[in-house]
Amino acid sequence: MLKNYFKIAIAVLKRRKFFTFISLFGISFTLTILMVATALTDKMISPDYPDFKRDRSLYVERMEFKNSKEGWMNSSNVSRYFLQHYVAKLNHLQMVAITSTSKASNAYVNNKKLVINYQYTNADYWNVLEYKFLEGKPFAQKQIDNAEMVAVITRETKEAYFGDAPSVVGKYISADNINYRVIGVVENVSETVRNFSGDMYLPYSIAKEDGNSTNLMGGYNAVLLAKSEDDLPKLRNEFAQMVKRLPIPTDFDKLYCNADPFFTSITRRLGGDATNEAVGKVISMAAGFLLLFLLLPTINLVNINITRIMERSSEIGVRKAFGASSKTLVYQFIVENMILTFLGGFIGIVLSLLVIFLINETNFVSNMRLSINLTVLCYSLLACVFFGLLSGVYPAWRMSKLNVVKALKA
Amino acid sequence: MFKHLFKLIWNKRKQNFLFLSEILISFLVIFAVFSYLTYYYQNYRKPLGFEYEKVWSITYGNRQLPKDLDSLNTFYDNLTKSLKAMPQIEQVTYSGSNYPYSDSFMSTGLTHKGKKFNNVSDFRVSDDYQKVWNISLLEGRWFTPEDAVSKDRGVIINETLKTEMFGTQNAAGKFISDYNGANKLKVLGVIADVKMNGDFVPGNNAMFSRLDTGYLRWTNTALLKVRETADATFESKLYKLMATATNSSVEIQHVDEMRDARNKQTIIPMTIFIIIASFLIINVALGLFGVLWYNINKRKGEIGLRRAIGASGNAVSYQLVMESIILATMSLIVGCFFAIQFPLLNIYNVPASVYVISILISIVFIYALVFACSLYPGKQAAGIHPAIALHEE
Repeated sequence: MLKNYFKIAIAVLKRRKFFTFISLFGISFTLTILMVATALTDKMISPDYPDFKRDRSLYVERMEFKNSKEGWMNSSNVSRYFLQHYVAKLNHLQMVAITSTSKASNAYVNNKKLVINYQYTNADYWNVLEYKFLEGKPFAQKQIDNAEMVAVITRETKEAYFGDAPSVVGKYISADNINYRVIGVVENVSETVRNFSGDMYLPYSIAKEDGNSTNLMGGYNAVLLAKSEDDLPKLRNEFAQMVKRLPIPTDFDKLYCNADPFFTSITRRLGGDATNEAVGKVISMAAGFLLLFLLLPTINLVNINITRIMERSSEIGVRKAFGASSKTLVYQFIVENMILTFLGGFIGIVLSLLVIFLINETNFVSNMRLSINLTVLCYSLLACVFFGLLSGVYPAWRMSKLNVVKALKA
Repeated sequence: MFKHLFKLIWNKRKQNFLFLSEILISFLVIFAVFSYLTYYYQNYRKPLGFEYEKVWSITYGNRQLPKDLDSLNTFYDNLTKSLKAMPQIEQVTYSGSNYPYSDSFMSTGLTHKGKKFNNVSDFRVSDDYQKVWNISLLEGRWFTPEDAVSKDRGVIINETLKTEMFGTQNAAGKFISDYNGANKLKVLGVIADVKMNGDFVPGNNAMFSRLDTGYLRWTNTALLKVRETADATFESKLYKLMATATNSSVEIQHVDEMRDARNKQTIIPMTIFIIIASFLIINVALGLFGVLWYNINKRKGEIGLRRAIGASGNAVSYQLVMESIILATMSLIVGCFFAIQFPLLNIYNVPASVYVISILISIVFIYALVFACSLYPGKQAAGIHPAIALHEE
């Protein structure tokens, strides 16, 4: 049966090549755009090098003071003092990775300027995040305590600064006019992994800042690692309780600081604020945008499908006259439409591979490597099915209501 | 004629429903794209108001600088002297962190004659700022060192703000007050508008005040106007000088590169948006073409009859093109009803002209699209030989 449908579908596709082209063009391009968007989103949301422990991590980025009477607001990243005195003492916490916001410095190599983004981290940073060391090793607590001038650099920085030297551990890199001894080289990090993509990592003890300040705000972010996945809600709860007890600076009466799971930290940044996680809001906005984007190609396809099906009214009339039920016919046309959609989907996958190849080749976002993996493929398949059904059902329904006599007459 | 066409369309309203909704959605998509484009183009057309080509910015940490004001002033005087001693440097000035293209903003409020002005960009700059950027003065004067000891705090405002406050009168020498009306500010001069956030983003109301000693502690940006001879060798020398002087991390940036980066933030999303929109439009055009072609082919009998009675080929194709145009008009009326809400409700605070222009462009665009898609099928229909058409029936 299906084999017959398949044969008929192919025959019909060959019949009016221009219409076939329009349908395939519409389907394949729509799916290409969807697939590239899915690949991008997947890159943003799925665990990615070096941040693989997302299922038991909480992210602390911002703190906000508010004066509800005057409407003043002050918001910034958190301070090391806050992380070491309040956060590190939480019971459900296994480790905390501390990293400063990225700062830029300049190095001059052979009269060429090199911009090096560096961040200060603690020793546990290297245990929470799984950087791949190409050579050397990270700095340990001992080196932080001694405030040693050591640095971990990325492969990109190594190549830009030292050229193609085989090993650079023990050599010195001069940034900001300070010489740091290189102790490790790590694989490049994609720019999409915010907070962890730098060119150089330094021990926080050599940061030029006031180490005795007791401000809660500063220039640091943190990843809190829970002992297990089950402990994550407990840790989050404990963190919230701890925030309630924080001393609020004068001039303000409210203090907000959140430890969010990864996805929540993204939605909060996109559409929420200190008190609003905005998970639902961001998802519904994305879904709404997607629906709007799909509406045009779908209506277009429905239009084309109706004209194509009506062209075959004599065939429909004959089949109905010989006793085919409307149901069978609807089923047949939906299957035919699915075949068309999957053909378009296949072309779409080829096009997506091409676009993704181009994005990777041109290094559109620094060090980002997009790939079409199983997740993306599954979603595309789902989109194909959805698209095929959406554009097939209405025309098939219209066709099934055709009057046999009229259909035969045409 | 039109009445007749309407009747024809009305009789086929069911088939035409999808056609109508397709045009409606296309119109809205195109309206969105053109709104963006018009908005950016209007901003792009405005003069930049300053020169960025030979300006470098130096950001340095200020925690290691002397704490008491006298030694801080001395420090800055010495720094300026040693910078100006370099032959490649033409002008030196200091500013808050919100210099052009820096992606950092500071705003404040002002009051004038009981009217409040919110969201005025607040720039703290030292004396040679105007020379570094080559900003043109429309009236009054720029800051001088004597302003440090004058009784009233002097400010310089930009043209838009001046027009909002004083209309066509001169503003120089008049007084305005800060947000809660406590302090009087004397307007020393008016400068032309400057677009500080990229070529596609409009500059908003701006006020410049002189960097006073109190604010000097927070200052962490120096701006230099350099000569043609400034190269990487000079830059590393400059870098060493700044790093030793401030004893902190230093970053030197070229403002022209920062401008490119800022513009990229507008251009890249815009390009992606245009690519997606044009794909949608091509898709729609092909679809319309296909549907019209099919519909006209289905009406061979009717057309043959008209030809047999004596209608010319042109009259037939005119009728078919007109039908599509009327269909498009129906959709456009509905679409315009939605689109006109934007300028009426002043959504997104964009000038109404942007929306009006884009509505007009979109209407023309849709008509052109429908016309182009129905022209060929119409011509084909006109070429039908009446005898053959009637024979088929």
